[in-house]
Amino acid sequence: MNNKRPLALPVGAFDWARRQATLGLLLAASVLILAQSALANTPTIRLFPTSVVEDLRQTGNVARDMETGLQEVIGRLDQQQQLYEESKCDGAENDSGCQRLARQIGATYLEMLTIMEERLPDMEHTVNNTRMSLEKGLRNELGKKMTPWQLQETLIGKTTTSTTSPSAPTLRGRSGMRLSERFKQYYQLVATSGSQSDQSLAVLASDIYLDMDETSLLIERTRQEIARATLMEQLNQSFGIITPEMMEVVGGVKSILFGDEETRALVAGPPPGSIEQAYRSPLEQ
Amino acid sequence: MITNKLFPTLTVFGTLAALLTVASCATTAPSCPSPQTRNLDSAISFVKTSLNTGCQAHFDRYYDDLLRIAEGDPKPENKRTFSEFLVWSGDQGLLSTRQAEEYYNRYFNVKFMSMKGDYNNCSHTCPNKQKVLFNMERELSDKERGLLKVSEDRDGYYRADRLFQEVELVLEATCTACAAGR
Repeated sequence: MNNKRPLALPVGAFDWARRQATLGLLLAASVLILAQSALANTPTIRLFPTSVVEDLRQTGNVARDMETGLQEVIGRLDQQQQLYEESKCDGAENDSGCQRLARQIGATYLEMLTIMEERLPDMEHTVNNTRMSLEKGLRNELGKKMTPWQLQETLIGKTTTSTTSPSAPTLRGRSGMRLSERFKQYYQLVATSGSQSDQSLAVLASDIYLDMDETSLLIERTRQEIARATLMEQLNQSFGIITPEMMEVVGGVKSILFGDEETRALVAGPPPGSIEQAYRSPLEQ
Repeated sequence: MITNKLFPTLTVFGTLAALLTVASCATTAPSCPSPQTRNLDSAISFVKTSLNTGCQAHFDRYYDDLLRIAEGDPKPENKRTFSEFLVWSGDQGLLSTRQAEEYYNRYFNVKFMSMKGDYNNCSHTCPNKQKVLFNMERELSDKERGLLKVSEDRDGYYRADRLFQEVELVLEATCTACAAGR
């Protein structure tokens, strides 16, 4: 019966039905096109699986625990060193008071090394986990699945006419902030990465990965050095000497853990204004 | 005796023939001078005529001349002017489509022609990373000329500059990851 209905309709009604059908088709086509374009705009590279987000959160926690543990010891070291300088002990190493002060500083230094020795394996473990997850993602998603041109298109975004994305990562330079703060910032950026475009994610993943790679190497070297430094300091304890190396190590640990304002890198800002182009050449790729 | 009389005549004819040969060579090889005008449209007309009259081999120099003239009067419309000139060059058979694209994009596009290739980054880009980055740096200075000095497209140039920095960072990370996977 339904098949016969159009035949029974008057000419005007037939036209109306045809218009309706055409409109329906157009609507369906529009929905399809919209759905496809929405899919095309969805980030397609998987650089931050849940495991990476979790690893980053854990690394941040471990770093915070280490900072908390070291903060008090380093504060004490600073006070002792200040007292040593104020007592004009430089050049008066044979003075018994100065020797006592030097031994106290040495003991605190040993305490710092012990805390680091205890905490570093955890830190090393979580940093390595994050590094390896990111490494796999970068290798597969950007290294093996993309040609150089595709990588470039990912970084710039599909359309060069859009304005600079406000969500573009502003992380540049990895020194100058607390270690735990750094990981917290990474975690927050990654945890909200759903709202970010592919281009931001590629830069963010690269930045974090290189940082993790560097941190991982530093931790490895630090662990090797701790054993040596501990032995040296145990020997020094008997003589009550403050070595310049000791002060250097303390300074280094402070700058890694709590940041060093002097070496703070400038944060790259977006270029001013929009990059909207009035003209697009047929030769443009 | 006869030989003695003929000798000066032969010498004169020989010299004349040599002079004629040199003169005919001078007329067949065009001198291909650079456009002297400061007006880009007039310069393009001049270059088009030259290119159509045997100066095709000087295309690179002419393109450089045109860029220099356009630098004297920078404006966004220059992009279109150069694009149209390159499309014309393609239509005339002076350039292939690929060459025309290369000439245009190297100077007027944010994206880098030096970063192209049909293979994946691990196998193609990473082994030549330094070379790719070096070529990109050179291309960036051409973009500075095309985008900034010729077209007054500051935002485009700054985006290209940032893209270069991003590529540097991302390639460093990606290539380290590729190397670790071997």
